[in-house]
Parts: sequence; C-alpha cells; structure tokens
Amino acid sequence: MKCIELRWLAAISAVAVPFVALLLAPGRVLATKHPRYGGTLRVELHVASLPLDPREWKPGSSATADSERLAGLVYDRLVTLDEYGRFQPALATEWSHDVPGKNWQFKIRSGVKFSDGSALAAKDVVAALLPLLPAGLTISSGENTIAIQAQRPAPDLLEQLASGRYFVYRAQPGGGLTGTGPFVVAETIPAAQAEGSPSVLKPARVKLRANEECWAGRPFVDAIDLMLGDPALRQILNLQVGRADLIDIPPDLVRKARQENLRAWSSPPDTLLALRFEEAQAAAGNAQLREALDLALDRETMANVLLQRQALPATGLLPQWLSGYAFLFGGGMNLERAKQLRADLPVNTAGGSEPLRMRMDAVGDLMKLLGERVAVNARQANLTVQLASHATGGGGAGPQAAGLHLFVWHYDSLSPRAELQEMARHLHAEQGTEFESNDPERLFAEEQQLLETRRVLPLLVLPEYVGIAGNVRNWSVAPNGEWRLADVWLETEQGASSDGEAGGGRGVHP
Amino acid sequence: MSEGGPYKRTTRVLLSRQTAVRRDFDCPPLFLVYFLLLISLVIPNLCAQVPVSGQIETMDDALQQLAERVSAIPNMRGPLRMQFFQDAAFAAETGKDWQETFRKDLEKVQINVTEDASANLLRVGLAETPTELMLSASVRVNEKEEARFVALPRAMFHGANLPVVPVRIEKQLVFQSADRILDAAAFGDGSDSGLLLLAFRGTELSAIRTDRSGTSKQFASLGAAGARTARDLRGEIAATGSEAQVTLPGKNCRVRWGTADDVKCGGAKVTWRAPVVLTPKCDGGGWKLTADGSDWSSPDLLQVVPDWAGRKSSAALMSDFPGPILSIAAAEVPSAASVVTRNLRTGNYEVYRVTLACGN
Repeated sequence: MKCIELRWLAAISAVAVPFVALLLAPGRVLATKHPRYGGTLRVELHVASLPLDPREWKPGSSATADSERLAGLVYDRLVTLDEYGRFQPALATEWSHDVPGKNWQFKIRSGVKFSDGSALAAKDVVAALLPLLPAGLTISSGENTIAIQAQRPAPDLLEQLASGRYFVYRAQPGGGLTGTGPFVVAETIPAAQAEGSPSVLKPARVKLRANEECWAGRPFVDAIDLMLGDPALRQILNLQVGRADLIDIPPDLVRKARQENLRAWSSPPDTLLALRFEEAQAAAGNAQLREALDLALDRETMANVLLQRQALPATGLLPQWLSGYAFLFGGGMNLERAKQLRADLPVNTAGGSEPLRMRMDAVGDLMKLLGERVAVNARQANLTVQLASHATGGGGAGPQAAGLHLFVWHYDSLSPRAELQEMARHLHAEQGTEFESNDPERLFAEEQQLLETRRVLPLLVLPEYVGIAGNVRNWSVAPNGEWRLADVWLETEQGASSDGEAGGGRGVHP
Repeated sequence: MSEGGPYKRTTRVLLSRQTAVRRDFDCPPLFLVYFLLLISLVIPNLCAQVPVSGQIETMDDALQQLAERVSAIPNMRGPLRMQFFQDAAFAAETGKDWQETFRKDLEKVQINVTEDASANLLRVGLAETPTELMLSASVRVNEKEEARFVALPRAMFHGANLPVVPVRIEKQLVFQSADRILDAAAFGDGSDSGLLLLAFRGTELSAIRTDRSGTSKQFASLGAAGARTARDLRGEIAATGSEAQVTLPGKNCRVRWGTADDVKCGGAKVTWRAPVVLTPKCDGGGWKLTADGSDWSSPDLLQVVPDWAGRKSSAALMSDFPGPILSIAAAEVPSAASVVTRNLRTGNYEVYRVTLACGN
C-alpha cells in the first residue's frame, strides 16, 4: 500500500515539478510583459454590409449599430468618455462653455493627419459635423478652434459628441470618406457568388490596415479582416477551430457558445425589443386594448425561457444603465385585469374576425419566436394577434395593414435626453414632443408620460455578445459600445511579448 | 520647470466640476478667478464650468439632499416602507452603508420608516449611468408616482475608499493621478526623499519630482525628447544624485532639478532596467518581482519569486493589484520597490511602494 502511494507521489512530482520549474525558471520570469505588434485580427459579423458614412446612418437601426461600433477604427471624435465617467480629449484637446451651456468652444489638436496625409483643420471638423448635428445647433470654425452654439442649453453636448454618429471625417472627391483613426480601409470586397457553386454566396469583406501615422499611436495589429454576413453557427465554428478571432454571437446562441467553452463577452443591454401600435388598424387607437395587451405580456418568460436568461425584461424605453431610473417603471403582468379590460371591448376588436396584425422589423428566429410569444400572451387575455408576413411590411392601409409593429432599437447616445428624443421622433410615439431638459426628474416624468400612453410597449433589452479567441489580448469596449480594436494585440505561441525590448513581432514599432 | 500642479497624493480623489470639462492649463490665482467670473457674466466662453446639482461633494451630502427632497413632496404621508435597488456594480463598495445613512436622514426630516407591509412604499435606488451616480426615491401620492433624483459625478464616488490591503508583501499606495504614469522611482532618504515620476501632464510627457508627502514639487517637460506617441509608450525614470535619468525608446534624457528647463536628450542605444530583485533584511537571498502587465483590461498579480535557482524554499508570494502592473522599479532601500498600476475601478494611475516584510 505504501509502495503504491509513493509511486503516485513520484508520478505527481514528475508532472508537477517541471511545471513549477517552468513557472519559476529565470528565463521565463519577466519583469513586465509588453504588448506585441503585428498580425491580422480576423473579425466575423453577421451583418451583411457595413456602411461607414455617418451621414447615411439611420438612428436606432441594427445596421447603424454595427457601423458605429466599428467606425471608431477609421474615424475619431472630438472627445471620448472613459469607463470612469470622465471625458477624455480626442481630436479636441480643450473645451469650454458658458454657464448655461449654450456656447461651446473646442480647441482642435494640432499635428493630426488624415490617412491620405493631409492635415486636419478646424474647417474639416465643421464640414464633417455640420450635416450630423441635430436641429438647434450651429457650428463654425476659427483658426484652430470650433464653436458650437445651441439655441437652448446643451449641457449634454459632450455626451452627444462622445457617442452616436458624431465622427470627424473628410469627404473625398471620389465620394469616399477618409479619417484620422487608427486604421485605414484598404479594400472592400462585395459579397459574390462562389465560383463553381452559384448557390453559395461568398461573404463581403472589409480589409483595414494600420494607420502608421495615427496621432494616438499605431495600433498593435497590422490589419483587421472583417468578414460580413456569415451565418452565426458558422462563425461559432470558425472561432472554435481558430479561423476567426472575434465574432458577434446572437443572444439565442450564447448558451451554445458557452457550452462549447468559448470565451464570450457581454455588454450592458444595448438593444430594445418593443411593440409599437400603428394607426393602420383602427383597433390600435383603442387605449383600453393597448392596456390589456400590455398587462397580458409575460416579459419574464420571454427573457428567461425564450432567451435563456440572455435578455432582461424591459420596463422603460431607456435602459437602466443609461437613465438610472428604469427600475422605477413597470407594473408587471396582470392577466386578470387584462381579461377584464378585454371583456369591456367590442368582440370584433382584436377578435377572431379582425385580428390585430403584427409586423416585424426583420425575419429571424429570435423575432419570430418573440412575435409568437406575444400572440400567445394576447390569446391568454382573449385578444387575437396575428403575425403578418414580412412582405406585407409597413403600416400603410390595405387588407393586410398591421396595427402592431415588433421593432428593434439600438441605443447609440450617451445622453439619455438625446436618446429619448431620437426614439420619440423615429417611433412617432408622441408627435412634436421636445425633450429639452437633462434634469432626471423632468426626463423621468416625460418618459413616464410616453409609457402611460402605451403606444410603445417595451419588451426586452438585450446585451451584445462577442466571442473572443484565446489569443486576443486587451479586449475592451468604450462606454458607447465602440470596439477598441486599436488596443487589441495578438498573443502568439512563441511568447506573449518582446520583454525588455520595445515592440517585436511584425510591424513597425513607434 | 514649474511648481505646484494638479497632482494629488492621498487615497481619495476629490473631483471638482472639472470632471466633465478638461482644461490643460493650471488654475489662475484666486483674485483672477473672481475677475474672470465677473467677466464671464458678460462674455461667454471664458470660464468652463459644468452645472452640478447643489453643492454635493460626497455621497452623504447627496443622501441628505434626497431625504430633504422626499420630505418636501406635497401631500406625502408616512410612515414609509422602504425598498432598495442598487446596481450590481456598487455591491462591493457600498454594502448597506448608504441605505442605513438614508434611513437616518429620513428620520432627521421627520419621516418615519417602518417594516409594516401595508405602509406606503418608498422605492430608493442607487444607479450608475455613463457619467453620473443617480440616487432616486419614488413614492405613490394620490395615484401619482412622485420621483425625486439627486445626481453626482461618477468619478467623485469611485475615488473614495481605495482598498490598500496589506498582505505578506507589504503594499502602500503612495501616489495617484488621473494622468498617465509610465514609471515611478523613489529617491533620497529622510526629509530629502520623494518620488520621481515619468508621466503625462495633459498631453505633455514630463518628469515630475514630488516631496516625501507626495506633493508635486517640480516638473520638467520632455517635449524635447520628441517621443513619438505610441499605445504602449515605454519609459523609465531613475534618480542619479540630484538629477533624473529618463530612458525612452531610442533616447536618453537627463533632467537637472533646480535649474529652469534643464533637460538634455540624446539618441542612444537604450538599456532597459533589469527585473527588480529585492533583498529583505532577514534574508540574504534575492527575490525577483515579476508581473504580467500585458493585458490592460485585467487586474494583475505581482509575483515575488526566489532569484536564486538553488534556493530550497521556492514558494512564490503573490499580491493582487487593482489593474495591470505597468512598471516595477527598485526603491532607495534594497527591500522595497515602486510599482505603477492602473486601477481598473477608478481609471487612476497609482504608485505603490512594495516592501518585502520578514515573517508572515
């Protein structure tokens, strides 16, 4: 017996001692490691295209969210917000404003060059921001300063400029845009049919190369290869077998990815799924019907069962992390009350012969599942909701016109006021509402008022999920959701870094 | 070289209204402030200030103001039953402290708090938004939800109560700054001691000399070195007599303190410092300090491993740091070192003095 124990001890020692020695060996011990320059970061996204012109972005849309996330690789902003709630200089090195916050002045960083080698001037900033700024703001340039004047106090101007579409770019004569960011668009390859297999579509690709002259320092990787439009399951497989370094994972596949032991990162909730009543069906104008449907919705089940706890029930229009008060909203499900309200309605209103038709923003497994769940919940309150086919689309008049719209909204502003304003404007939730105040009490009251009309019923908020390969280091995301891929570096098997020497690996070290 | 500056030593960062407005110049004297304030009433854009609700400087102030605002809600009747909501991010930092403080603040403004389930519900929340900490209280009065809010800049709260946990490796926070610190080295003995820092002041790389209390005493701009901006800009600073030696990629600089702008730089094949080996008083052998430091998004471990391969006792000591370890430099005594880290919770760059203590 003793002999066996000793043999075990010897066996364990044989394995453990070299391992410990390896850890402690002088050659292995490093003072501090330094990031490695070089390599190509391979990113796969499910989005089919990536328009990088901020002037074309539609607030709240999925395509815009993906573009904004990555546009920071090519363009810069005047200011950024760090994780600690502090504004940091980017293309503006100083800023000031008057006491009411109506007159703002920004000093533009000197020595910054666009990727085509031309110098950034204050007038470039004005030309870029002019078509992007919301109504009520005017912009003008001085020698190395710009001034923004607001008709009404804009104490949240920095929050606005540090997020959303407010990138600085220069439009080129050929129609393209150039930026000052850490990467340059090297090549864009549109999706095409694969040779020999016309039924197979080769995904579109965008290739970015490092901007050696970037004012904030050259990025660590030499290039980023973005592959667009690959199906989610294939992306997961590619990450597993080492053909991709970063992928976006749909919420309904997060559990699978984690079961496969993939490294998955999640953001704060950045997407709202909600229902909107549209005037195309008269029933949608009935406040009692809207209240009945709201009280019938089982958001907890949608989040915990349908989405396997990868989403949260939405109580307000703005997420908790942005407003700080969303937890104060939401009365929860009350099926009995919903039935009572339904009973008081005419039988034909959202009844079998005249169902409330629901259209959806996009056809996908998740949206379809959610739409079906809404219909099931409605049926429990004796309301009939019918999923309209995607082709019937808009809320225009006609036999198939839909009175209910299941939509997706991506948050993109760091200013709760600006976000609520955009939502109200684009969802037509409340015609003509202007959200002028940043005072949380006012904002809370205004959002509460919007919710009380029940023209928009928030359902769920979803985070963004990213699958990350094990060799990707320094992964981080800005508070506005931008991926900071310029700071990412790739670890190789030969060793993590060039300890003791600046730089290393391929690429030019600054 | 100039004296004074924005650096603060202590374990607490008091952020002013400049939190949201960055100015890369030093504050003018007081009489000038008054003068500019007067001018700013007439001419806009001269003075940068962000309006902050009231004069809230601490969490306690904010809680007190919230209690006062709740007590002022018209037609509200007590007693109230409280329900707390707290963002997960605060759990470790605040515990139940703020809830208890708020309960006492309510009592001070004559609002009775009860556990009775039939009492009117007061929902109280502490939440974090991208720029603010939001305290809220909401109660139903006459079928209407009355909500009151008090917001304070986020960074102000995060700076407080930094944990400096002594472990087997003695660790003491000696300096912190919101500006980026590349390297730190302790110098001198007794009253003529302090820290040398290689850090950014705004956008300018500088050598900084502090006194023993950590107050910044002298600055020397290293603009002459022409260091090219890099994402992992590397630099080292060391004391050599009354001077500082700065090493940057491809350049060595010498800073002579006491003489205005006496910075001389020259191209050279640089030699980066070797790993730091400490020798505690009770142990003749050396112990090497090592860290990963390569992932800026993760907290680091400082490892202390025997430097002598033949040493029989080979256990490594470890110490947690609140962020990646960016540099390690030997201090003025053989048993201590200066370690620079970036606190991932606060975003501040911090300098710790690490000493190898004898025994447990």
